Amino acid sequence: MAKIKKKGTSGAAKNYITRTQAVRKLQISLPDFRRLCIFKGIYPREPRNKKKASKTSTPNTTFYYTKDIQYLLHEPLLNKFRDQKSLAKKIARSLGRGEVSDASRLEKNNAPRLTLDHVIKERYPTFIDALRDLDDALSLLFLFATLPSTDHVPSKTVALCQRLCHEFQHYLIMTNSLRRSFLSIKGIYYQATIQGQDIMWLVPYRFVQRVNGDVDYRIMATFVEFYTTLLGFVNFRLDENGAELAAFTLEGRSVGDVPKALEASKAQSNGNSNKEVSKELQAKVDKVIKKAGLDQSTDEEMVETTDEPTDAIDHFEPAAPEADSLPQPAMSGNEAGALFAPFVFYISREAPKAPLEFILRSFGCKRVGWASVLGDGAFTHDETDPRITHQIVDRPQLPQESLPAIPAADEKAVQKVQPGARIPGRTYVQPQWVWDCINEGKLLRADLYAPGATLPPHLSPWVKATRGAYDPRATLADQEDEDEAEIAAEASDSDEEMEDEPAADDKPAAAEESEEESVDGGMDVAGTDDDESEEESEEDEDFGGFDEEAASESEDDDEAARTQHQKELEAEAAGLPFTASAAADEAAKKKSSKSKKVAAKKRSEDEELERQKMMMSRKKRKLLEKMMYSNKKTADESAKLRSKRRKLEKGEKGEKN
Amino acid sequence: MNPKAASKKRKAVTRDVEEEAGVFSGDELSKGNLDGALSDNSKDLSDSEDDESDSEVELVDDFSDSEDGEEELDSDEIPSDTEEVKPTAGEPNFRIVKDANGNDRYLWDEIHPDDNSELSEVDENANTIGDIPLKFYDEYPHIGYDINGKKIMRPAKGEALDALLDSIEIPKGWTGLTDPKTGKPLNLSQEELELLRKVQMNEVPSEGYDPYEPLVEWFSSEKEIMPLSAAPEPKRRFVPSKHEQKRVMKLVKAIREGRILPYKAPEEREDKEEELINYDLWADEVERPDHVMHIPAPKLPPPGYEESYHPPPEYLPDSKERKAWEQTDPEDREKDFLPNDFGSLRKVPGYDNFVQEKFERCLDLYLAPRVRRSKLNIDPESLLPKLPSPEELKPFPTACATVFRGHKGRVRSVNVDPTGIWLATGGDDGTVRVWELLTGRQLWSAKLSDDEAVNTVRWRPGKDAVVLAATAGDDIFLAVPPHRWGFAASRPAPSASEDGKKNAPPTWIRPEAALVDAGVCVVIPLRYVPKTISWHRRGDYFVTVCSGASTPASVAISIHTVSKHLTQFPFRRRLKGGGPPPDRPLPPLETHPLLVKILQPGARWISSFDIHPTSSSASGGDNIIVGSYDRRLLWHDLDLSQRPYKTLRYHRKAIRAVKFHPSGRYPLFADASDDGSLQIFHGSVTGDMLSNATIVPLKVLKGHKITGELGVLDIDWHPREAWAVSAGADGTCRLWM
Repeated sequence: MAKIKKKGTSGAAKNYITRTQAVRKLQISLPDFRRLCIFKGIYPREPRNKKKASKTSTPNTTFYYTKDIQYLLHEPLLNKFRDQKSLAKKIARSLGRGEVSDASRLEKNNAPRLTLDHVIKERYPTFIDALRDLDDALSLLFLFATLPSTDHVPSKTVALCQRLCHEFQHYLIMTNSLRRSFLSIKGIYYQATIQGQDIMWLVPYRFVQRVNGDVDYRIMATFVEFYTTLLGFVNFRLDENGAELAAFTLEGRSVGDVPKALEASKAQSNGNSNKEVSKELQAKVDKVIKKAGLDQSTDEEMVETTDEPTDAIDHFEPAAPEADSLPQPAMSGNEAGALFAPFVFYISREAPKAPLEFILRSFGCKRVGWASVLGDGAFTHDETDPRITHQIVDRPQLPQESLPAIPAADEKAVQKVQPGARIPGRTYVQPQWVWDCINEGKLLRADLYAPGATLPPHLSPWVKATRGAYDPRATLADQEDEDEAEIAAEASDSDEEMEDEPAADDKPAAAEESEEESVDGGMDVAGTDDDESEEESEEDEDFGGFDEEAASESEDDDEAARTQHQKELEAEAAGLPFTASAAADEAAKKKSSKSKKVAAKKRSEDEELERQKMMMSRKKRKLLEKMMYSNKKTADESAKLRSKRRKLEKGEKGEKN
Repeated sequence: MNPKAASKKRKAVTRDVEEEAGVFSGDELSKGNLDGALSDNSKDLSDSEDDESDSEVELVDDFSDSEDGEEELDSDEIPSDTEEVKPTAGEPNFRIVKDANGNDRYLWDEIHPDDNSELSEVDENANTIGDIPLKFYDEYPHIGYDINGKKIMRPAKGEALDALLDSIEIPKGWTGLTDPKTGKPLNLSQEELELLRKVQMNEVPSEGYDPYEPLVEWFSSEKEIMPLSAAPEPKRRFVPSKHEQKRVMKLVKAIREGRILPYKAPEEREDKEEELINYDLWADEVERPDHVMHIPAPKLPPPGYEESYHPPPEYLPDSKERKAWEQTDPEDREKDFLPNDFGSLRKVPGYDNFVQEKFERCLDLYLAPRVRRSKLNIDPESLLPKLPSPEELKPFPTACATVFRGHKGRVRSVNVDPTGIWLATGGDDGTVRVWELLTGRQLWSAKLSDDEAVNTVRWRPGKDAVVLAATAGDDIFLAVPPHRWGFAASRPAPSASEDGKKNAPPTWIRPEAALVDAGVCVVIPLRYVPKTISWHRRGDYFVTVCSGASTPASVAISIHTVSKHLTQFPFRRRLKGGGPPPDRPLPPLETHPLLVKILQPGARWISSFDIHPTSSSASGGDNIIVGSYDRRLLWHDLDLSQRPYKTLRYHRKAIRAVKFHPSGRYPLFADASDDGSLQIFHGSVTGDMLSNATIVPLKVLKGHKITGELGVLDIDWHPREAWAVSAGADGTCRLWM
């Protein structure tokens, strides 16, 4: 006989450990455990069977993987935590004795310093791994870079976050790695592609962040501590590679205003209250520029030559909407770097300078100017500079007389342009133009984005058009189901006109059946009796057999056509003109019969589905229903959007008329 | 100084309560008040020790509290303030002495209170204000009036009183205890007190011990001429210690190796700014495969169109949606924001919940259990079974073409003849009728029995000789319908030789003349009621089954050989139902006396079953349909399982008969039910062992009326066409085509 297995020694009971057990095993406090988990990236698991994993009957237990905890036992951070704890005790004791200097000395000299290098190496064995996990880090650090320093958020941390974020942005500018950006309600989304990894992060708009009460800054601070270390290493690595990469890319292009651009970028970071953009980085960049030769000669010769044969992949557009579209790689850094390269931008006072400058620079624009109130480092502060090709304004169009007159002429400062006045020879656009251009990867028509104009909708570049989902880019007609519009129109017509005949649309089968006969006009259709009997049987039985509805429908149609022809002939014979009203009547009838036909078709489809479902096992039927549910949800959603749009379009049409 | 107040302070009295204060009133604090309490105890000592007490007081004060020095002064003064000058005027009742500082010090005389005056004096001092609360006198210097109408002044409070009480000294050796032997107060003598003091002070209590004796320096730095010990100097004094050398060498070695460093003051920590990351962490990166159990945190989904600051107008919520969103709980909301159109970038406000959302993301990252869920991304259509298109399924009977009326009472059985032209029916009225199938014209009728119903009618398969077998009551009738409707010119073989064969237990006999005229040739009396007849394919044998409960098992199934006019009982055990597979030479039960298979249909009362025509051929497996009285129609695939492959429950009442279409052309089967309807199914069987039979419900045929809880009793298929014939309890048969 086999040995009786003891309970709880293998399987889920052994593989999973509750949080309390884990804390006890590690002999640390719960907050320390939390920090450790955050640093090491250990997260709770959901056992397949909770009952088997837990030794108690407590329902809400958090389970960890036992091996994770086991491997935490040898973590050097654990010793650091213990040291911290004993130091805290010492400090508390000396404070209790009133020995403040002693306490401060202890704190200054003996505080164990947490280094997370090994943790980062462990969690991200390769650089690519680290890049892959950079989303959350960037989002949180960009948030902390904008937070005001409080006692929860020391200014040192804020400054560190700002520095790291600027370094990262600088790298993106240098390598033109930014791909997409999106202005959302929450903030500005950016997406960059570094070494093939897509990194997306969210930067809040520049407002003071409202903090609700239930935010625990200690947790966020722990994350920030980890992420700063991570981003520090990533930046170092990127800068090392980036310097070479930048050299490579800069050689290929004109380097006309590079020093200026660099200064500007430096200034930009300086402007944002951080005085030390890493010096070595600056040195490196300088080196790169030297390497690149600094030829000032070719200034604005970057004219796109479109017709040349290139190595680039051609863009394939599906010719018909039905076809599958094959994915193609997005644009490369070179393309991105060339988008805004030939232009000189001027950012008006009211436009958000920081994101605009970041985007413009990372898409190849090297000469960005802005009003002097926005800070130093601009290509030009002079709004009248004739080199400016584009000006980004974000102010409403006001009538000329309402604008204040130009102040006295002697005021020869930069601000001598009347606000709202246009300087000829340049394009005025709203900020959204920049975002839409980079998302499309090409320059869009600027007149749609002129100041004061109603902007086209700003669309997220990440939404892929899938079958069945609503796509606001496509026209309504493209994505509607067949006859959907007509039905909707009819429905709305009948709604609008009078509520006299709700039966036609609202009541299905039975009512229609009777109406159908009236349409037939008493014609003796073969198999009518059969149909009736079938209908009866359908009503009574759980399953209905086939009805030859469709066939009879087509017959009906034929019949109708024939009868109309007959009537025409009769009218001709009688010498009476075949009245248009009668024809219209016929047309109306036809229309209603068409909608009926659609309904009948739908009904027959439903019946078919029911019939098929009946033959499935219950398990499969459940699965099918589940899937159909989710599909139906998206379909409903898109149908709702379509109907809204239809209504809107109709409203517009009505206004035009 | 009060000479009687000798040694101890009365500590117990010093913090006294106020109610005594009324007694020791300030000005009236007369001799009696102060001393009366003390006088009793101290009287005996007071006289004699008058002069000595000074020195003794000093001594005692020394080892009492340190504050006594001051209090002594107070205690001296307070009586001087308060006590009246009682003795005769002129002669001062105090002495002036010099104290340590050279100032004057007044020493008052002893006051001798009168013993007898105590009571009256106490009465005089009593406060007479009665029950009036004392707080009425709060702002006055007095607190009431004594018996003489004099004001009782407010007593001294606090420090003054404490000082006064401290100054009151108690007699020497007073313990407050009572000696149990004598019953008198226990007083301690001076020696005893001294002893106690020494014990208290942790000194050696014995007499004559001097703790501060001058030190005799026995071992001093001064060298004596004579050594204390005569022992010679030991060798270790001269030889260097090896052990010490070892230890020293250890230290030397450690210093040389750098293990011991000279002390250096701890350096000030450099600032955090300086600890920049200055090396490449991934300089020697090695790819490491992910742990199997590791689930990376899912990335946040990218924003959709509705999150735009300027979305397409159709994404904006209307007032109803907005209200619905506002009314739902924040946890229940599908989206955590409402789409909003700001029109222009300058109008976009800050997002309120930004920090909150990031915090929640942080919480999710470290607190949320991660589960890998496989999401099915299948087109739901693919799950649906592949069904043949409706066109493929046609033809099947859809409508009633002919109604056969003539039977009185129920029609129990129908059968279409192998040529497909005639229809035989048998009913409760005991007649067997033959009809023309297409027109519904009755061709022939024979009344087999007056009181018994015709249970079954079956044509002999094969087209060469037309024989109709029918059962009515206990008898089996074999009939050859007359040739006037153009068939069967000669009498069949069995009827010719029927006389000679009378040896078998159920002897085949000639029917009565009327029946003979009608065409009935042979009667086989079985003694038990046969319910079913099944012909063999070739038409030489047929099997009858008597399924009545009273039938003995051995005679329940009988095999009749037409050519020999022979009846046999092959089985001893009881079996229900019967019927040979269509193309086997013998029924399976006969070729294998053992049971081939046991089915577990799961139905309780099986009414009928039928075997698929392709069964046991190469093209398909063994398929059986079973109808049961508990409203179920079961499809058994014998290759698959003993349990039904499909259980169909589409009838509301008992199923009476089930039938496959006999030809392989139409994969149809039908069932007849007591609810008056027939149901036609498509049931195609493929030769492929992997694919199961496809069953498609096709049609419900209604027409029979329900009479006496019975609907359709039997059903049969046309041998070649997709036509069905049903026998109803309403006395009609119907042809469905």
